[in-house]
Amino acid sequence: MWAEKYRPKTLDEIVNQVEIVSRLKNFVKEKNLPHLLLVGPAGVGKTTSILCLSRDLYGVGYQNYILELNASDERGIDVIREKVKNFARTAAIASEVPFKILILDEADSLTTAAQHALRRTMEIYTKTCRFCLIGNYSENIIDPIQSRCSVFRYSPLPEMEMKNYLQKISNKEGVKILLEGLDALYEASSGDLRKAINLLQSAAASQREVDDISIYSVLGKVSPQRVKEMINLGIKGQFLEAREILRELLIDEGLAADDIIRMIYSELMRLNMPEKWKIRISDAVGEVDYRLTQGSRSEIQLSTLIAKLALEAEDL
Amino acid sequence: MSLEQLPWAVKFKPTNTAEIADNKDALFELTKWLKSWQKGIPKKRAAFLQGPPGIGKTMSVQVLAEEMGFDLLEVNASDYRTRSRMEELIGRASTQNITIFGKRRLILFDEMEGISGREDHGGISAIVDIIKKTRNPIVLIASSIGEENDEKFRVLRDLSILIDFKPVPTLDVYKKLDEITKKIGIETTPEIIEALAIHSGGDLRSAINDLEAISRGKKKLNTSDIDNLTIRDRKEYTPILINNLFASKTIQESRKIINQAFLNYDDLFDWIYENIPLFLDDKEDLYHGLIALAKADIYENRARKSNYRLQKYMYLMMTGGVALSRTKSEGNGVKKQIFTISSKQGFPQSAFSLNETANGLMIRPLKYLGDDWRKLNDAFRDIGGNYVRGTGSWLIPYIRSPQLKWRYIRTYHNRLKLKSIASKIALKCHVSTKEAINEIIPLLKIIFKNNKESAATTSAWLELEESEKEWLRK
Repeated sequence: MWAEKYRPKTLDEIVNQVEIVSRLKNFVKEKNLPHLLLVGPAGVGKTTSILCLSRDLYGVGYQNYILELNASDERGIDVIREKVKNFARTAAIASEVPFKILILDEADSLTTAAQHALRRTMEIYTKTCRFCLIGNYSENIIDPIQSRCSVFRYSPLPEMEMKNYLQKISNKEGVKILLEGLDALYEASSGDLRKAINLLQSAAASQREVDDISIYSVLGKVSPQRVKEMINLGIKGQFLEAREILRELLIDEGLAADDIIRMIYSELMRLNMPEKWKIRISDAVGEVDYRLTQGSRSEIQLSTLIAKLALEAEDL
Repeated sequence: MSLEQLPWAVKFKPTNTAEIADNKDALFELTKWLKSWQKGIPKKRAAFLQGPPGIGKTMSVQVLAEEMGFDLLEVNASDYRTRSRMEELIGRASTQNITIFGKRRLILFDEMEGISGREDHGGISAIVDIIKKTRNPIVLIASSIGEENDEKFRVLRDLSILIDFKPVPTLDVYKKLDEITKKIGIETTPEIIEALAIHSGGDLRSAINDLEAISRGKKKLNTSDIDNLTIRDRKEYTPILINNLFASKTIQESRKIINQAFLNYDDLFDWIYENIPLFLDDKEDLYHGLIALAKADIYENRARKSNYRLQKYMYLMMTGGVALSRTKSEGNGVKKQIFTISSKQGFPQSAFSLNETANGLMIRPLKYLGDDWRKLNDAFRDIGGNYVRGTGSWLIPYIRSPQLKWRYIRTYHNRLKLKSIASKIALKCHVSTKEAINEIIPLLKIIFKNNKESAATTSAWLELEESEKEWLRK
């Protein structure tokens, strides 16, 4: 995967987020660091910079001193605590750095209660382990944790920087990318570099020359496009056909209901529809989204939205 | 009889409570009550177990008696009849504290529905007297809970704790049948087991009997083997019920289907959900119907989390709430959907002939389909259709059995692969498995379809197995 192949390996290789990188370099120089909280949108280099820092700090074999966990993949705070306990129990012996680093991705998805438990864990193991929490929104991290961490806010990648990066990769892979192609990539990935690189690689899989059409044809095959189809069928009142797509997404593609509703919401917002219509629909989406969090059957709840689309379409 | 010759329904019966997969609540209630006898005679000296046949009422009592060290004395319908016969049989047993083996007794009156109010003169009043005097726990079992029995057993029910047994969820019937075929070593397909499970309507015993009957002398089962399964005479055949539900005009009428159904509410819910869009073809009706059903789902959730009292609102919403949403709807969307599916597969309407029959629409291709047959077959199956052997056509029923669960079962291995690939990506690409599924795998599939070279390097790097590569290519 190109996104991994071209992921910077050391802090020196990172070209953007200049200020953050220079502060991280200081930590390496002092061979010490506080607990970290890295926040910012997806694909702007949060995970990359902490991986680079680890490599710079520990050298070869750095993997032995870090543990990467993803809050959304671990079943509950107890599992996380158990893993942290086992990892942090042994000090980093073979290294001159006296601590290990625990990277907890999507930390902002933890419930408040789980975060309080995490805070306790952070305190207990501070001597042997530094915590690096990563998330999209700092608002979703409880204050006691924020106050124990150095907070780093990552900004979205500027358009030119991202395009340069994509251009560089294309050159190295022997792919010709047209300007329209770069525009389309930037547009479609909304500043998420990993997403853009993955898109580029898929588009380049079938042709060596990538333009906007090849990017959009790739996009047409992935889930958000299917969600869009489902919405259109819903608006037209073809409920059965729309429900069929919903089932494909849930069953064949294995998407989680909360991801589907997230896509529905963002597609709805992009539709060329009256603002008032969007408000009314969003109200329904919000209600269904809440019900999903309560553990209701996802298919029946989501399908009420499809029926709602047909109903609201009548008033247009 | 040697073990080999035992009927399967007996051979594969659970031998301890841990093996009993369903009706956990009922089992818990019964255990609690039996335990209370250790501290003396409880207020209610009898337990009244009710529920449809073949779901493990008697079996549960037998297993519990064994586990809790009771000496079980079973009385069957044939033994009831008259007061004098009953007193002779039970009178002493019920007042003795222990048997000669030092065990406490448990008296079981099975097949209570077999007592006829008139002929078995005094049978019920004899049981009433026995319950009032007994020093040993008494369990009463009745298979049907229709209105006539309600009246007949009223006195008995007043004296007893009531324990409801529910039909076995279709999915659990499926699992049990699947387990049996694997143990016996018969080759079969998910479709056949699915058909047997649906057919049973939650009567696990009948499902096992059906399976045994069609498997006799065979090593492999074919779809044709299930063609001749007969419908047992039971409360109501589900499609008829669904029809009744959507035809009903009052709450009372619609509410009835809950008691008439031979399904537990979970399966009934799925049936209603599957068929709502077929009956409510008016936009507004459909919306209100779905909202009512979605509300029922929420009440179910709340009932489970806080108080079972809330279940009655679930029942109300899933029946009356749905049925009374019907104001302008008149149709049944089957025909339209058949055409959508066939044109999606590249066939115009003119490629088929269509006939309305009592059970559904018969659709017959007008030319040889070749390899497209399978594609169409899968698509029709997804809307509940079946290929009818010998006629060369599909029957798409007006009322469908729920498709969702079966699709989950059929695609189980598919999702297993998806998850294993996703976890490999998560590890290498420093993302969550969810993100791998949502963002990366769809793009990876495109790469695998279009570029062998790139696919090869990527699979080597991700350390994918052969079957996983295959999955990404298809």
